[in-house]
Amino acid sequence: MTADTNVEVRKGYDRVVVPESAGGTRSLTRQQFETLPLRERVSYLIEGSAQFFRDGRPISASEAMRI
Amino acid sequence: MSVAIKALETTQAAAEAIVQRAETRYEAHRQEILGSTDRIFAWLMIGQWIFAIAVALIFSPYGWQGKVKTVHMHVWVALFLGAAIISLPVALAWRRPGELLTRHAIAAGQMLCSALLVHLSGGRIETHFHVFGSLAFLAFYRDWPVLVTATVVVAAEHLVRGILWPESVYGIPNPEWWRFLEHAFWVVFCISILIPSCRRGLKDMRVMADRGAELEALSENQWRNSSVVDRAAADARGDR
Repeated sequence: MTADTNVEVRKGYDRVVVPESAGGTRSLTRQQFETLPLRERVSYLIEGSAQFFRDGRPISASEAMRI
Repeated sequence: MSVAIKALETTQAAAEAIVQRAETRYEAHRQEILGSTDRIFAWLMIGQWIFAIAVALIFSPYGWQGKVKTVHMHVWVALFLGAAIISLPVALAWRRPGELLTRHAIAAGQMLCSALLVHLSGGRIETHFHVFGSLAFLAFYRDWPVLVTATVVVAAEHLVRGILWPESVYGIPNPEWWRFLEHAFWVVFCISILIPSCRRGLKDMRVMADRGAELEALSENQWRNSSVVDRAAADARGDR
């Protein structure tokens, strides 16, 4: 049995949906999310209100935060 | 107070605490870099001073006044001017490591050490490489204004010495008046790359601190979503 070493290991997220204060949601790229103030990002993560996506598929926050 | 408002306040308080810890980690990391770089320069400057004295002793130990053999002026210059140049930066590095004044004094002192070595070598162009090596070392601070201080000092020193004693800096008695600008240009060329590198280094440190905060927030979320039994077990283990 041989291990498949050609599998591309992709980590992190490429899109995130966060709630708007006035209701509704907004979709951000990773770059846009990372330019938000740290306090705001941290609040989303504590609340668990941010939904992370990779290649269009939802992933858990802990999966998204892997480097 | 409604449960929703209380939950929001708890989240805000937790977020505030996490952001504060991230800021503390970032500042501690930065201070550690500044302090350790100060210490490196303190030892480097002492080493350069000893080297300057050695250069004077090896290349021009004696002079002649008629038939009387005397110690060459270069030896005294290396000994006393060298000590004067390094004394303030070294004292600040030991007494006030990590402070703004310390690193700017070190930048100025390091450029004056270059000037001393250039003078002792009779304005040898090869000794001017000491300036560029020093700029690279100063970039260890990741604080780009330090490089500007060094540039201003070396340009001013070249200008003044070029007017008053051109052999001391260029090794020739009649250089063009604008020669200092040519030297300054190459220094600016060097720092034009080092400055973005310093800024990038600081940005990377900030990203590391932010990553730590995000992971802490994730941990807080998982703790909140865990059962009471799990929380008690996590607290007992000291996971939180």
